[in-house]
Amino acid sequence: MNRKKMYPGYMMAVPLLFFGVFFLLPSTVGFGYAFTDWSAYNTDLKFVGLRNFKEILQERTLSTAFVNTLIFAGVKTIVVTVLGFVFAIPLNNKRMKTTNVLRTIYFLPSVLSTLIVGLIFNAVFESRHGILNSLLTAIGCEGWIQPWLGSRWPAVFSICVAEVWRNIGYAVVITLAGLQSVNSDYVEAARVDGANGFQLFWKITLPLIMPSVNVNILFSLIYGLKMFDLVYVMTGGGPGHDTETFGTLMMNEMAAGRFSHSVAINMIFTIMLVIVAVLFQKYSERCEYVE
Amino acid sequence: MKKKRQTIFTGIGLWLFSIVFLYPIAMVVITSFKTKAEANILSVRLPETWHFENYAQVWEKGKILQSAINSLQISVGSVILILCMASSLSFILVRRNTKGCRMISRILTFGIIAPMAILPTVELLKRMGIYGKKLSLIPLYAALYLPFSSMLYSSFLKGIPRELDEAAAMDGAKGMGLFVRVIFPLLKPITATTGILTFMWIWNDFQYPLYLLNSSANWTLPLSVYNFYGQFSRSWNLVCADMVLVSLPVVILYFCAQKYVIAGMTAGAVKG
Repeated sequence: MNRKKMYPGYMMAVPLLFFGVFFLLPSTVGFGYAFTDWSAYNTDLKFVGLRNFKEILQERTLSTAFVNTLIFAGVKTIVVTVLGFVFAIPLNNKRMKTTNVLRTIYFLPSVLSTLIVGLIFNAVFESRHGILNSLLTAIGCEGWIQPWLGSRWPAVFSICVAEVWRNIGYAVVITLAGLQSVNSDYVEAARVDGANGFQLFWKITLPLIMPSVNVNILFSLIYGLKMFDLVYVMTGGGPGHDTETFGTLMMNEMAAGRFSHSVAINMIFTIMLVIVAVLFQKYSERCEYVE
Repeated sequence: MKKKRQTIFTGIGLWLFSIVFLYPIAMVVITSFKTKAEANILSVRLPETWHFENYAQVWEKGKILQSAINSLQISVGSVILILCMASSLSFILVRRNTKGCRMISRILTFGIIAPMAILPTVELLKRMGIYGKKLSLIPLYAALYLPFSSMLYSSFLKGIPRELDEAAAMDGAKGMGLFVRVIFPLLKPITATTGILTFMWIWNDFQYPLYLLNSSANWTLPLSVYNFYGQFSRSWNLVCADMVLVSLPVVILYFCAQKYVIAGMTAGAVKG
């Protein structure tokens, strides 16, 4: 029997229709609003060309959001990937009896809603009785005490900490699964040939698990760039617009009634993410090819 | 001997580090039983007396029951829709494997990468006349998680030999019949994994309800916590109790179905 009869195309129709209407349509055609003068006060839309883009590029908030978004995504990806290895390597030790329990604990924060994580870290970084400031008092570092969410760089740092806390579990689980999938014959063979622990890792283990590490990095980057909930709950993009990301900026522009600006930012953001994903895939393919 | 000692030391180190994860969570749980005054100082110090009535208060003021019902309706509805659509779509994509099918797969990855187009989505829902209704989130979530779920299903389906289809075809099964009677039962493990993962994500999601549900009767649990926090931000004991109530279902689900959660995370990453 031919494939067309056996696997009829109509079975794809409903899923693709849903995806097309509820995701693809708003994320492509929907960006038409970016070229109009749509706002909370003006629903009689006119085409205004690139005016919205010119306006938002002139505002400082967009560049702040751009820098913050890159910092959040970059710091999170690097720290989480490295820590993933730092914890997964000892957990992969067969003599460790408590690997599964520890993995469960490390992954626990990833199960919580981002909103809950944000609230927990509001408690940690609260200025008057927060956990961090109390701790600093206890160990005699009063000089370090400050309203952590009250100014730009401490707030950016605090949000990064929360995001890393939430994501270490993912990284550990994925890296550990990668390590466990490595055939121990290779490692043994290299060991017989006289490779030391460091060489074993760099020359044998790492290249073998590189594909899964790459996917891990890509996901981490994409979700880091899309970060919204945590920032929204912890600072709301403030103080001023200092901790704004693309996600919160779209929200704040929308709340201010500048609808077409919000859509324009949304569109720039979407294009940026696609470029990042394509570049990364090109780059990582080359990496794997070299190996 | 040296190796054994090394293992013990790294073990101690790993356990010490687990405090970083456990301390904040323990703080939330303990604070939820304190009085307002005690809860002002956020720490894991045990309360003088355990105030279980905090939970009763939150249950009432936090609209927990109504929000939990909403969350459950939205999550279960979306997950069922996702599972049906993702499994049948991947089945055709993997088995046909034509140029067009690979093209469709590529377009689907756009769904993982692109952020939500907020205002266009709001506008779309308004034009369809379903904006603000809680059930409008179901098709949105279905579309949002279709790509990731299809990815999981596709990698699993590649492991089921096509000879099986041929054999079933001999007995006259094809298309939908073949899928429902022969293939879908074989997909049980990946269906469990995908179902639990997407359920947790949708249950925990905050962004879609924030944009799309305005009346408090439609709020999901995360949204109710957020508004509760806005109202009672000076009463950490109540906020913490609310957080515990909202997180308990997913945490229990995670402990019961950990195997599937881990499997899903790793399958998604390893396959790509």
